[in-house]
Amino acid sequence: MSDPTTMLLAASAGAPDSSVAWLLQVPLLPLLACLLCGLFRAWGVTSKLPGYTTVLLLAVAFVVTLSGYLSFGGHGAQVVHGFDWLRVSWGDGPGETLSAGFSLYIDSLTWLWMLFVTGLATLIALYSTEYMAEDQKTGGYARYFSFFSLFVFMMSCLVMSDNLLLLYLGWEGVGLCSYLLIGYHYTKPSAVAAAKKAFIVNRVGDLGLALGLMLTFVHFGTLEYREIFARLAEIQAVVEAGGSAPWQVELIPLLLMVGAFGKSAQLPLYVWLPDAMEGPTPVSALIHAATMVTAGVYLVARFLPMFALSPAALGTVAWVGAGTALLAATIGMAQYDIKRVMAYSTVSQLGYMFLGLGVLTATGAAYHVFTHAFFKATLFLACGAVMHGFAGQLDLRRLSGLAKVPGWRVTAVAMLVGCLCLAGFVGTSGFFSKDMILAEAFVTPGPGYRLLGWIGLATAGLTAYYAFRVYFRVFHGPVEFHAGEEHHGDDGHDDHGHGFHPHAPGWAINLVLIALVIGSLAAAAPYFIDKEHHGWVGGLVHSSTAGEIVRASAGHGEAAAHAGEAAAAEHGGFFGDPHRWMFLASSVVGAIGILLAWVIHMTGRVSADRAPIADALKARLRPWSTLAEKKWLVDELYDALIRRPLRLLAHILALIDQALVDGLVDGVGFAPRLFGKSLRPSQNGLLQNYAVGMGGGLVFILLVVWALS
Amino acid sequence: MSEKLALLHPEMVLFAATCVVMVLGLARSAVWRSACAWLTGGALAAAFVLALRSPVTDGLFPHFLAYTKAMIAGVALLILPVMSGTVDRWYERRVAKGAAFDALRVTRGEFYAFFLLSVTGVMLCATADDLIWLFLALELTSLPTYIMVAISTPRVRAQEAGVKYFFLGALAAATFLYGFAMLFGATGSTSLDAITIQFRGEGLSTIATLGLVMALVGVSFKIAAAPMHFYTADVYQGAASPVSAFLAFMPKAAGLIVLIQLLATVGWSWGEAGDALPDAIRVALWVIATLTMTIGNTLALLQSSAKRLLAYSSIAHSGYMLVGLIAGPGGTVARNGLAAAMFYLLCYGVMNLGAFAVLASLEVRGRDGEPAEADAIDDLRGLFRVRPGLAWAMTLCALSLLGLPPLLGFWGKLVLFTSAIGAGEIGLVVVMGLNSAVAAFYYLRLVRASMLDERDPDAERPIVTEALGRRLAAGLSAAGVVGVVVFASTLQSASHAAATPNPRYDEFLKVEAPARQSPPAATPTARHN
Repeated sequence: MSDPTTMLLAASAGAPDSSVAWLLQVPLLPLLACLLCGLFRAWGVTSKLPGYTTVLLLAVAFVVTLSGYLSFGGHGAQVVHGFDWLRVSWGDGPGETLSAGFSLYIDSLTWLWMLFVTGLATLIALYSTEYMAEDQKTGGYARYFSFFSLFVFMMSCLVMSDNLLLLYLGWEGVGLCSYLLIGYHYTKPSAVAAAKKAFIVNRVGDLGLALGLMLTFVHFGTLEYREIFARLAEIQAVVEAGGSAPWQVELIPLLLMVGAFGKSAQLPLYVWLPDAMEGPTPVSALIHAATMVTAGVYLVARFLPMFALSPAALGTVAWVGAGTALLAATIGMAQYDIKRVMAYSTVSQLGYMFLGLGVLTATGAAYHVFTHAFFKATLFLACGAVMHGFAGQLDLRRLSGLAKVPGWRVTAVAMLVGCLCLAGFVGTSGFFSKDMILAEAFVTPGPGYRLLGWIGLATAGLTAYYAFRVYFRVFHGPVEFHAGEEHHGDDGHDDHGHGFHPHAPGWAINLVLIALVIGSLAAAAPYFIDKEHHGWVGGLVHSSTAGEIVRASAGHGEAAAHAGEAAAAEHGGFFGDPHRWMFLASSVVGAIGILLAWVIHMTGRVSADRAPIADALKARLRPWSTLAEKKWLVDELYDALIRRPLRLLAHILALIDQALVDGLVDGVGFAPRLFGKSLRPSQNGLLQNYAVGMGGGLVFILLVVWALS
Repeated sequence: MSEKLALLHPEMVLFAATCVVMVLGLARSAVWRSACAWLTGGALAAAFVLALRSPVTDGLFPHFLAYTKAMIAGVALLILPVMSGTVDRWYERRVAKGAAFDALRVTRGEFYAFFLLSVTGVMLCATADDLIWLFLALELTSLPTYIMVAISTPRVRAQEAGVKYFFLGALAAATFLYGFAMLFGATGSTSLDAITIQFRGEGLSTIATLGLVMALVGVSFKIAAAPMHFYTADVYQGAASPVSAFLAFMPKAAGLIVLIQLLATVGWSWGEAGDALPDAIRVALWVIATLTMTIGNTLALLQSSAKRLLAYSSIAHSGYMLVGLIAGPGGTVARNGLAAAMFYLLCYGVMNLGAFAVLASLEVRGRDGEPAEADAIDDLRGLFRVRPGLAWAMTLCALSLLGLPPLLGFWGKLVLFTSAIGAGEIGLVVVMGLNSAVAAFYYLRLVRASMLDERDPDAERPIVTEALGRRLAAGLSAAGVVGVVVFASTLQSASHAAATPNPRYDEFLKVEAPARQSPPAATPTARHN
């Protein structure tokens, strides 16, 4: 098993097997839920039936995934053949048939993603049954769950596909669902604008992915993973023997990367994600925090063997990741809308994941995806509970001391645990996963990677600060709250404004929050299982396509890092083992961040909107604080540099279109009509004329045949 | 013998059902009379199952029968619900109200019997291996349709259409029968195998070429191709929409199958490449295809009647299918024009039926106050407000007819294009591409009328007929246009298998050749295409 090529082939050459066909249920059950909810919408069902149907079917999908993992988890890659979906050929030769089946390629990377996608989707669907209850009468309830299930279907296509085209379908599909759900309140202009923004910005990324896909087909002649990985193994062998990879193999990762940056909200395409918080909060939790936005990470992790052959792409991924992490954290520090803080923190954490991929610790990245999915879902759902209970109030200057309000204890605990994980507090799940990435950044050789490590460490401090800024402001201090502007329809809350009573979360929301708190804390446990591979997730990554190749790329990435690690362990030096001193360093940084948040936001606080030190600091740090609050004016920059010139161009083109193209098209449309008019007299309805026409036609054809042959 | 009978099982079932249905239609009890349609459906379903189990033959296309007959039975099953409420609607209503029942006045039994007879004829066209058989099968397909057109509605226009259809059909039959006679004269045999052997040995004589071209032009009537297309618009408009839907598929399928049978005698099994048609035949088909596409599409542009529009569109689609025939069979799905034509026929059957079914579901109040069939494109206006489901069905089917991805029509057209490119017929591909673009103009008119246009406030709203079956068929077709796409690759593979020439056909002919010399009774092996 020492030969990397044979190992890769063993991992990637699982033959199609009909005994695993039942795994097709994983994508198909959510699709069924989507269709059923669509029917409920058409039938005008106003009960909670759509919600419970979705929860049930998603739960079954989760159970199927789990039992699939338990049966096949350690067996390498499985290919489940569904059916031939698309087959277009224009010749017999290789590369002249474009075929893509609805087939699943399931290795341990897929299992990891599917486990948390289906698991979290089930929980968040359950949460939504209560959260969305106000829309039952308008029919929005069934529509919501229909889109929700469609999203899970598309996400499973994306993650489980065995070819790039089905992945692309899933990729566009989750984009569509994201658009539909951000714009769920389609009568609200800001929601519509946010939905459009998300869709259009993603188009830029998707262009990259589409080009990458086409180039892959042109170069490899196939879109199926197994064949691509087999070819990559050959190229890998050539590179190891001193040859060089073809230019396409260096370019494809760069194109795929653009797609990943769009979907996973990285610089410069991150601008859509904060606005996406216009959607219902459970959607933000599932799609825009836990699952869809990690699709980019999945794509890069899946094709890490190809990225490993393209140093330029790897370097870009690492640098962009670290840059995004830092920038988003600075913006998050200055926002007052707590959901927006969480949105920027998502962008920032996604940056960490890309940093991890860039420094070739697929394990760290995947583990961070896993832990982040839990604690960020917890945070969003806790925010959602606040928003739901306080009529849409999200401004941290207008909420305070909620931990002391009866009925809000579970929410407060959930928020605290979420913030601890996000801040990377010692012993929490976020602590282990973030450190794994940072430690590798320090030891992996690469262009300025050590600096990236420092950036990551600093960002960890900022993260701790802004997470606890939200927690201290909203859940501690004097009890004070103001209702938001959202009206709850006719659900008995006629006491708005004066004497506002928040309605505390009910059983479904609390149950899900408790489950997620347990999940967030328990996500640390896998780190201690399977110590050899840096935890359970490491074991999964190790036995997937991502693990094998990386280990094989000599002098590059984890292999080298582990060599140094092993050497350090032999010498017994504490500072020789990056993981050990990273633990210490990030504990200290995290603790400082939390302490700062306490000092700045709790000392001398008298009311919800007045924290003396924070206000003084803000005035002192002008204009930087204002700039950060205004998101470094990135949106304005986009407006000036991209939107306005494009608009101008569109106006000019419209003029050209009206003057020139329309005339041309009209002319072209005129000719067939004229021709038709000339034929019209032949259709005069008279039998004898028709007979003459038929006879004449026969003679004409005979004459043509006679003349031409 | 029993093996030969197994080939005919679907036809036998249909014919038996025909006899029963014809008598059943005269029953005194309204329940028994209404059982006609159900029995027809049952027979078609049985024929579908039997067709799938058709034995593999040792002719040129061993798997041809299963695909073809199953497709015919399947589409017939889809057409059947559209027929509900077509004949005797007013008479049955009077009987239900207490009028005396007169067996001489009802036509329901005949109608469904003719329906089944015509479908039987189409299937026989595929089974036939002899010119006489081919002729009889073609006429069995057409003769019942003449009467179906005439009795489909009590209006005079239907009778006018029936008469026109009959006379022009007779002229076309005379044309291809004359062609068949010349083929017999040139080769001394009516057996298609014997003709093939003759052509291989001695090539095409002038008289044989003349005969073949006349046969091709004559059969063009069945597929509504130029220059035999004149009747199409008048007949489709005159007949009730359900019958028009039937005419737009069944005779067309029969014609296409006969064309394949005839062309198989001169091409596709000859020479090195094994797929070349003789020049004279290729030129004739080329002219027919080009004229058909162009005439169909340009005339459709000018129509204000939706039924006439669909009639011209069906002419254009015949032209597209001829392109596949010219490309001929090939080794891969992409290259196999014959398979492309057969697959396109299926796609066309589904999407065209959907459009007709939507029209058949609509009525407008005529000048005499009685509901009349919707016919004008304007009758579709505002449909979205009244019946969003029907409007969607029309939209999906029209867009599919236009060939818009990802709908079914696109996949059908795609293989036609790739096969024609593979065969080097670039000229035809260009003509077809231009025609597809022209077609967008009028299909989008249907979409605009049903989805976007508002109805004139003073105009009558379209009334939806009470015949649920028609809406059901429209919905099924629309669902098929979207849903069958998922299985498009599978169906394409099936059509490819159906139209892949038998590599051992030469050996078979060699065995067959001396046998033909002996008296027919001693024929040792049956040859079935």
